[in-house]
Amino acid sequence: MEKDFLESRLNINRRRFLSRLSLGIGSVALGSLLIPDLFSGKGDEAEADFIAGIPNFAPKAKRVIYLFQDGAPSQLESFDYKPKLRQMMGQELPPSVRGDQILTGMTAKQASFPLVGSFYDFKQYGESRAWISDLFPHIGKIADDICIIRSMNTDAINHDPALTFFQTGAQQGNRPSMGSWVSYGLGSENKNLPAFTVLLSKGKGNGQGVYSKLWSNGFLDSIHQGVQFSSGEDPILYLNDPEGLNRHERRKMLDNLAALNDINYKQFGDPEINTKIQQYEMAYRMQTAVPEIMDVSKESDDIVKMYGPECLIPGTYAANCLLARKLSENGVRFVQLYHQGWDQHNNLPQEMAGQAKDVDQASAALVTDLKQRGLLDETLVIWGGEFGRTNYSQGKLDVANYGRDHHPRCFSVWMAGGGIKPGMVYGESDEFGYNIVKDPVHVHDFHATILNQLGIDHKKLTFKSQGRRYRLTDVAGNVVKGIIT
Amino acid sequence: MKSSHKGFADGALFALNVFILVLLLAGDSLVVPQWLQPAGRLHPLVLHFPIVILMLAMLMEYFRFRPEFIDEKLYQSFTNYLLVLGALFASITVIMGLLLSHEAGYEGSNLQWHKWFGVGVAFVGYGVYLIRNRERYTATIAKTGALVTVFCLIMAGHFGGNITHGEDFVFGPVMDKDKKQVPINEALVYQDVIAPIFEAKCQSCHNAAKTKGGLKLTDEESILKGGKKGKLFVAGNPQISLLLQRIHLPEAEKKHMPPIGKPQLTDEEKLLLYFWVKNNADFKKKVIDLPATDSLRVIASSFLKPAESTEEAYAFSAASENDIKKLNNNYRVVYPLAAESPALAVNIYNKSTFNVKALEELSPISKQVVSLDLNKMPVKDADLKAVAKLENLRRLVLNFSDVTGKGLKELSGLKNLHSLSLAGVKLTLADIKQLSAIKSLTELAVWDTGLKPDDFKSLQAGNKQLKVLTGFKDDGKPVKLTNPELKNTAVIFSESYPLQLANPIKGVEIRYTTDNSAPDSVRSQLYKRVTVITQSTVIKARAFKTGWLGSDEVQFNVYKCRYTPDSVMFITRPDDKYKGDGAKTIIDKDLGGTGFGNGKWLASQKDLEMMMWFNKPIEMHSLELNTMRNIGSQIFLAASIEVWGGADKDHLKLLSILKTATPLKADAFGLVPLSCKLKTPQKVACIKLIAKPIKVVPDWHSAKGKPGWVFMDELFIN
Repeated sequence: MEKDFLESRLNINRRRFLSRLSLGIGSVALGSLLIPDLFSGKGDEAEADFIAGIPNFAPKAKRVIYLFQDGAPSQLESFDYKPKLRQMMGQELPPSVRGDQILTGMTAKQASFPLVGSFYDFKQYGESRAWISDLFPHIGKIADDICIIRSMNTDAINHDPALTFFQTGAQQGNRPSMGSWVSYGLGSENKNLPAFTVLLSKGKGNGQGVYSKLWSNGFLDSIHQGVQFSSGEDPILYLNDPEGLNRHERRKMLDNLAALNDINYKQFGDPEINTKIQQYEMAYRMQTAVPEIMDVSKESDDIVKMYGPECLIPGTYAANCLLARKLSENGVRFVQLYHQGWDQHNNLPQEMAGQAKDVDQASAALVTDLKQRGLLDETLVIWGGEFGRTNYSQGKLDVANYGRDHHPRCFSVWMAGGGIKPGMVYGESDEFGYNIVKDPVHVHDFHATILNQLGIDHKKLTFKSQGRRYRLTDVAGNVVKGIIT
Repeated sequence: MKSSHKGFADGALFALNVFILVLLLAGDSLVVPQWLQPAGRLHPLVLHFPIVILMLAMLMEYFRFRPEFIDEKLYQSFTNYLLVLGALFASITVIMGLLLSHEAGYEGSNLQWHKWFGVGVAFVGYGVYLIRNRERYTATIAKTGALVTVFCLIMAGHFGGNITHGEDFVFGPVMDKDKKQVPINEALVYQDVIAPIFEAKCQSCHNAAKTKGGLKLTDEESILKGGKKGKLFVAGNPQISLLLQRIHLPEAEKKHMPPIGKPQLTDEEKLLLYFWVKNNADFKKKVIDLPATDSLRVIASSFLKPAESTEEAYAFSAASENDIKKLNNNYRVVYPLAAESPALAVNIYNKSTFNVKALEELSPISKQVVSLDLNKMPVKDADLKAVAKLENLRRLVLNFSDVTGKGLKELSGLKNLHSLSLAGVKLTLADIKQLSAIKSLTELAVWDTGLKPDDFKSLQAGNKQLKVLTGFKDDGKPVKLTNPELKNTAVIFSESYPLQLANPIKGVEIRYTTDNSAPDSVRSQLYKRVTVITQSTVIKARAFKTGWLGSDEVQFNVYKCRYTPDSVMFITRPDDKYKGDGAKTIIDKDLGGTGFGNGKWLASQKDLEMMMWFNKPIEMHSLELNTMRNIGSQIFLAASIEVWGGADKDHLKLLSILKTATPLKADAFGLVPLSCKLKTPQKVACIKLIAKPIKVVPDWHSAKGKPGWVFMDELFIN
């Protein structure tokens, strides 16, 4: 301890300066190897190619609403029509189709892999003639507004890593969520609301958990963390003033607190202190902005009919969709919804019908609602889960009761608005719905494309942490040009 | 230096230099025998020795006459060693190089320069070595010789590098890489699509200096000429074209191009070359001259930048950063559309703080604002005058603002407006017609404006390029209402209960009954305001609204509990798994709900006895115990309930006993209140309660013969 004090007095003398200098020159040289642009003469400002808060090029989309279907809905009962599977009902999955695909522990020991076709019929919708299952009639009606990608694929085969991969670009966690990256990259549009918000709902189907690590800011400034809005009296925990405290007193308290924090900041220079001051201020403004947004009583009957009457019951998926529209309309950059209950390992026909009923009408209504307000152009809506499901039955196959295991190789998602080509189907799977035969879209490509629509070059949106620069797409990802207008 | 070594080295040097002369004089007439070719090919390896050794030797030679070195024996003799060694290596390298240069594919000015500078190194180096120990050799000569040798070395190295790595190899990475991307409507098929492929993937071996296989791919003439193996392609017939054959050979094949180890062509590039040859390998055509569906055009388009660049080029200059900073506040965000774009977007939020100043203050950036979002702001018609000053506005959102149709005429001067959102603003067709002067308008959102489908049609007819966004149309099919909700948080009360029923949908009628009958839309009580209930009641309710389907029926049970014991304790303990929060669970005013394992239930397979006390004696009329029946889980109603009461625990008498019917297989799951009414009201200060489960589960049950469970969660004393 004493030594520390002595050393601090010596902080800079000549010898120390020189010894540091020699080390310094070495590290500068090493640094220039590690950071190629260090001596490029671009100066500090442009050093990162990227100025936080300003897009690289004119964006098509200003905001994102991500309707995450947690648990992984089956592509074979929703958006990937495979009549062949019905014809081959009960026959064995040909080993040549499966190839070297590793299965989960849940079906790896299964003696047989009987193919199973969709319990539900499909119809073609819109001018695009896209095949959509009878479980999603409302989404069928907006077929000409959406782009269905049938060739998504991911690296992970279990829920948590796959979900984390979709949300953060890495399977292990600890990285910033996509919403945090967007908040960091584009900044907030409305300073009275967080730039990244999260809404949860739960269906009756077999569910998987979602955890706050999915909307974590990772190594980014904590101001970019996702803020969860819950249903009920207190949509944001601890936001309301305690009873008996008036706005004026709260203001005085915040001013004094800020002064104290500022003293600390000057002493230690920790940027997190500034973040904290800003967040208190934003919370103060949110105290008036949030109740206005959460108030759905002024929504017209048309809106209620569109989203379905459930949209007025807090905590339902429909209510969250309506809320998502209101948040987005108020400049929230990234609204992340999760609807749990899509993990149909058994009893798929019945459970999936319930899940689809939860989300079909409200998802379609959200797209229509944005469109009729002239906001769909600048809002990107995404619908999809973390992976797909197998084309063979998990457990005993019964025509009206079967299950499907996890399948990472090929599944479907859809997007709408935000400069994505409407009324198109992109990518193609084989007739077994098992492998991709055309235009694969990997999760990294998916991320690169979303950022691209927001005016961000995914290779330039970086943040340096622990000595290296990180991207949402890590070292991969190509913008899927085929789906962009 | 030992004289024998020196003699050998001198001799060898002389011989090698003569050999170089011979090779130079022989020139093109020389034919290199095959067994010597490997020696030639070692040139790029060996050349590094003379570079290093001669450089060092010449450095020492340069300083040789400095006073501190002149008597240094080691310095002098070491320099001599280095020099002879360097000169030897230089000569060997030159010979190898000359042999290599006779192989096919080496020509052009780079080669000539390289050759002569290389020869220069060998000769000058040898010369310096020869004369360095003469009398008249002075410091000036030493320095000149050293400099000339080093110069030749550097130049030879430079031109050699150009041959092997291509020009600009060294400085390529720092030179401006952002070649101007040509917009598709100007791009030429050859110059902007095909030539860049050759340049990137082929020209390092097929250039002016290095024409492997006699092929140059740098200009139209050489490409048409082809190489040693003949013409490169047959225009229009890719199947028999050499170029396509070579690039499509398997990579392991020796003749595959580009050779293994070099950057390979991508599938897209191969396709482009294929279609280029197929389209007669034209050198002049523009990409957009090809038919729109032509494969070459389609692939090339993805290669090139799209013509209508997504980034609009704005004619105005950027606003001052200071102004932008000043205009940003908590309720007004001003931000650049993109880095390096002068255009700005402005969003304004928060109804309660909005006033017209928020718009008027934008005058310093009135040229730069291209997007303005006033969604739900109380913007008045007069305020639009401030909006009209934003001459470059492309996009304006006025959804649900206080603007009226009349005010829209203010906007007719916005000549650049592309997109206008007026959802929720009350409009007539005539109001919109005021905007017909805006020719640039392509998108108009008019949902919820009061316009009719006929109006939409007429709007659309008036302007073909206009996208009219009309939005949701009620298809007239009635929708089912959601169920009424009970707003009260508690369902147990002591005196009276202010019943609060609600439904989130506006204009809904809630009808309810309290007599267990099914509620309907006509006869049942209409819920208007808070209704007071004074007895334990079963409320059944439904919601109704014209044009909608009625909701399902919902049931709410509310319980009256006039007296709550002041203390309670077990006489016999409940089962360890179902002991709730101790004896007070039974009087905690928290019902257990339908899940028996949630810790809110007390249960036992034996007689469960409890004792409770009141500080002041009460007049008891009845005691009601809320219990569960769930036959599948072996939970039956209590066989009997005994209520004992008195002034204290030593003076209790049996006040009531309730026996239930024998359980039946058909008994449904339910939460069943068991009510013990006293014949005459009794003053009591102490109550004992005994709940007895059925002793033996009936024979029809899978657990037959065992004792049944009894579950209870709450007690109501009135």
